Amino acid sequence: MNTSLMFLEILVALAGLGILVGDLWTPDKHKKKLGYGAAAFLGILFLISFQVQVGNVKYAFGGMYILDSLAIFFKRVFLLAGGVVMLMAVEFTPKIKRGVSEFYALLLFALAGMMIAASAYDFSLLFVTLELITITFYILASYLRSETASLEAGVKYLILGALSSAVLVFGIALLFGSTSALSFLEITETLGQSSGSLASNPLAIAGAVLVFAGLAFKLAIFPFQFWAPDVYQGAPSPVTAFLAVGSKAAGMVLVLRVLFQALPSITLNWSAFLATLAIFTILYGNLAAIPQKNLKRMLGYSSIAQAGYLMMGIVAMSSAGASAILFYLVGYAVTVLSAFLTLTLCVNAIGSSEIKSLSGLMDRSPLLASTMILAMVSLAGIPPLVGFFGKFMLIQSVVESAPAGWGCLVVAAIIGVVASLYYYLGVVRAIIWDKSPNTELEKIQISTPSQALLYAGIFMMIYLGFFQNQVVEAAQNAASVFNF
Amino acid sequence: MNAFLSWSILLAPITAAVLIGLFTKQNSKLSSKLSIGAIGFSFLMTLLLAAVNSGTPEIPVTSSVTWLEVGGLKVELGMIIDPLSMMMLLVVTGVGTAIHIFSLGYMKDDPSLGRYFGFLSLFTFSMLGIVLASNFFQMFIFWELVGVSSYLLIGFWFERKPAAAACQKAFIVNRLGDFGFLIGIILIWSITGSLDFGEISGAFTENPALLGASTAIAGLLIFCGVLGKSAQFPLHVWLPDAMEGPTPVSALIHAATMVAAGVYLLCRTLFLFELPTSWPEDFAWLNGVSSLHIVALIGAITSIMAALIATRQDDIKRILAYSTLSQLGYMVMAVGLGGAAAGMFHLTTHAFFKALLFLGAGSVIYAAHHEQDIWKLGGLRKKMPVTFWTFLIGTLALCGAPPFSGFYSKEEVLLAAYQSNVVLFVLAAITAVLTTFYMFRLVFVAFGGSAKSESADHAHESPSVMTTPLVFLAVLSVVGGWLGIGGYFGHFFDHGAVHHGHHENQTVVMFIGIGAIIFGFFPAFFMYHGAESDPLKKGLGGIGEFLKNRMLIDEAYQWFISRTHEALARLADWIDRWILAGFLVKGIQFTGEFTGRALRLAQTGNTQTYALLFGLGLAVALFVILL
Repeated sequence: MNTSLMFLEILVALAGLGILVGDLWTPDKHKKKLGYGAAAFLGILFLISFQVQVGNVKYAFGGMYILDSLAIFFKRVFLLAGGVVMLMAVEFTPKIKRGVSEFYALLLFALAGMMIAASAYDFSLLFVTLELITITFYILASYLRSETASLEAGVKYLILGALSSAVLVFGIALLFGSTSALSFLEITETLGQSSGSLASNPLAIAGAVLVFAGLAFKLAIFPFQFWAPDVYQGAPSPVTAFLAVGSKAAGMVLVLRVLFQALPSITLNWSAFLATLAIFTILYGNLAAIPQKNLKRMLGYSSIAQAGYLMMGIVAMSSAGASAILFYLVGYAVTVLSAFLTLTLCVNAIGSSEIKSLSGLMDRSPLLASTMILAMVSLAGIPPLVGFFGKFMLIQSVVESAPAGWGCLVVAAIIGVVASLYYYLGVVRAIIWDKSPNTELEKIQISTPSQALLYAGIFMMIYLGFFQNQVVEAAQNAASVFNF
Repeated sequence: MNAFLSWSILLAPITAAVLIGLFTKQNSKLSSKLSIGAIGFSFLMTLLLAAVNSGTPEIPVTSSVTWLEVGGLKVELGMIIDPLSMMMLLVVTGVGTAIHIFSLGYMKDDPSLGRYFGFLSLFTFSMLGIVLASNFFQMFIFWELVGVSSYLLIGFWFERKPAAAACQKAFIVNRLGDFGFLIGIILIWSITGSLDFGEISGAFTENPALLGASTAIAGLLIFCGVLGKSAQFPLHVWLPDAMEGPTPVSALIHAATMVAAGVYLLCRTLFLFELPTSWPEDFAWLNGVSSLHIVALIGAITSIMAALIATRQDDIKRILAYSTLSQLGYMVMAVGLGGAAAGMFHLTTHAFFKALLFLGAGSVIYAAHHEQDIWKLGGLRKKMPVTFWTFLIGTLALCGAPPFSGFYSKEEVLLAAYQSNVVLFVLAAITAVLTTFYMFRLVFVAFGGSAKSESADHAHESPSVMTTPLVFLAVLSVVGGWLGIGGYFGHFFDHGAVHHGHHENQTVVMFIGIGAIIFGFFPAFFMYHGAESDPLKKGLGGIGEFLKNRMLIDEAYQWFISRTHEALARLADWIDRWILAGFLVKGIQFTGEFTGRALRLAQTGNTQTYALLFGLGLAVALFVILL
């Protein structure tokens, strides 16, 4: 037992408990400050996480928990996203009638779940941590109890999430049945032995498909993506942001570990299957986003499309592909968090998340307007912003390793990018050119922490577009845990 | 020292333009000070440069820095200082300073004075760049910059429709000429491998047949640039319309600088035109005709045509505009006939007196509350004495009356014609008669008689900020002929000084010139002294109307363009609208949009449906993987 490896997760969970306890002594009007405290705490943890040296791979809990460079890379992404989401949640508090502290605490618990997921090296831990994340999100998505949209989002996520969990458990059961192991290490060994006969056992393969389907649900990969637009639209904005960044990244790290560390002898033959899914996901997300009028719903479709792009890195089945995925996730986190922070602030001021309600934003708040514009342009993958470089790396990895059907995949990706310009730039058009029906709109006031965060977001989107080396190196280092 | 001075002359105006554009545009006082200060500084530096080099006028001084080097193309930013550029620098900065100061009074009440002075400085920078350019590349860049800044200045009052149209016309017509210029540059570069004036002319000295059959073509392509900038027939149409700009701009652009740039280019690249002419086979019928002959012919046509049109114009600025065309034709003709020195001499004196006339017209327009029709002016002689007397000096200088500056320069132009081509000389002499006629018509109608409108009646002398530049230019217009400018150029163009030792010719030409003034003056006196309306209106009948309508050249162009260019444009528009935008773009957009909407149907919002689709998807995935 080596619990000290988990100190980051433990501290996050303790912070959640601390907020729940502290809530009892905090008067209502000061509860907002608990959120600032939590955000600051996450910021400090983020900095501390860089002190964690990962020389050798370390295990805890009998090999269930792993601490390698991949795990620490994701923990940093989660901590960063968690901190930003926490500040977003503070901005969002005026909308929450009761239970502000619980909202913060739940976010922290979800964050702890994601951080553990980054280290899950055993199907039982994988399932537990995934449930920790998902169940918290059921509550978070329906947190605005007086709003039917929020409730609807929560219920839909609950029902479909339960379905996917059932599929996941079934898959785990099949794998356990055929290999009599739950640890990734043991499963790899078992499947690798006996000259691969077990790896072609239909039971094991079906188990692998079911596990993948359960995880693909989290990533919103076609055909398991139907929940995403509805839930994204209905859930409170900070929750949507955390869902888009944190939950998706957690799903991604688990998919990577399962496909390439637990079941490589089965899944390495899947590239055509995965490429097909990627093509459908990209086209579905991008094309269905075109007619959308609500920004949150549009971002829901956009997140499906982004999952499709991420899949390209998996299809490549190379360390270049894996590191491209990791870089893309960082850029995606920066961009989407900027977009959702802007969205949260806009919704607070405007009261609507319809795209057309953004008209005149340029006059009302140039900072919000430029952050949103940059975020859209970055998501669309226009150079020199970070989104461009991520897409470039992904496509490059596919072209380099040239798996079956890679040509169609690249063409689909490019069609998707072009189609996405239409709806991303539609937002830009609304912000800059569309005339606001109400000409006498006042300026939007933004709190200092949010302003700082917006500036940081703008800076990062541009900075990472030009100077990717540090992040790329970190991503390559993290991706080195996979043996291709 | 030379390098430093010439760079500071060039860079002072652009510094002012940048400062005004970035910082002080809203502050008209500060902007005007910056702009006037910059050109004043350039003027002083030019005087200093002239003083430094007064001992050695023969040797061209160049200094250059390499700007870029791509493959065989080496582009330098150079400065060339020889008598030719020296005199142009003095004219541009000297006359320019007077015009800048005059603007201060004329544009006093304009709300965007800062913008005006910013443009003015930009223009000055571009013009100085042309003068100092040591190679074709640099020349072309500044050539285009002059085009752009003149576009901005002519269209300064862009909210007025005619001004907006005029600046576009000026720009497009100039571009037409510049296109030929650019091709000419590329042609010369492709054969000689160099863009530098010195290197190219050196190469020609070694091997005059270097350009082979394309010698004449290359020269005429370069001349295309001259046609545009110096407004020669058939590209002269932009200049009269450009009178829509503020009057000081007309003085700057259409008297002293921009239009002179063409003649300057012609003289700068004279080495190209003096090569033994040879034509490609397709043009064999032109053998015997040199490119300079064509240049001279174009100049003569322009000068007589513009002078004829000028006799029937009623707008004070348009009369001056056609007069400018006519005089530019003189200069081009002189250069074409081998009298480059005469051409440059006339360019210099013309800069003085034509700028004076334009500024005088500006003073009149300012006093008469923007009344430009000479038949609505009148009686200004007593009301605006300074303007009247300086205007009269300008008129006399333009007509070539002794001892004003125009007398000396025009005589040299006529002499050059007299010695080489009698037909062109007769045309030039008729032009001189017409010049005197239309100028005195203008003076008698606008300044003499009685006031013909209320605004003319209430006119009074302009403030001293405007009259001082008038007096300054009037002095130059008087003494410009005595300063030895002609000889100065004569030395530079060795072979341009053809008139030495032809005293009989000189006498004959002088008498003809003075006779032309008399023949022009008396008809004007009898017809227009105290006239209330134009007797020529009925007298000339159809021809009068033809001249009044500018020989219908604009209409002919309009007709031609609407049948060729516009038909083509309409076709392109049709293809763009229906094939490209309609079928291709809209088609793709429709497919995307349609698919998107179709996909939305799957997104029913019904949880049961989602679960069903989830299950179906899973089943298909299992099916695909397992079988």
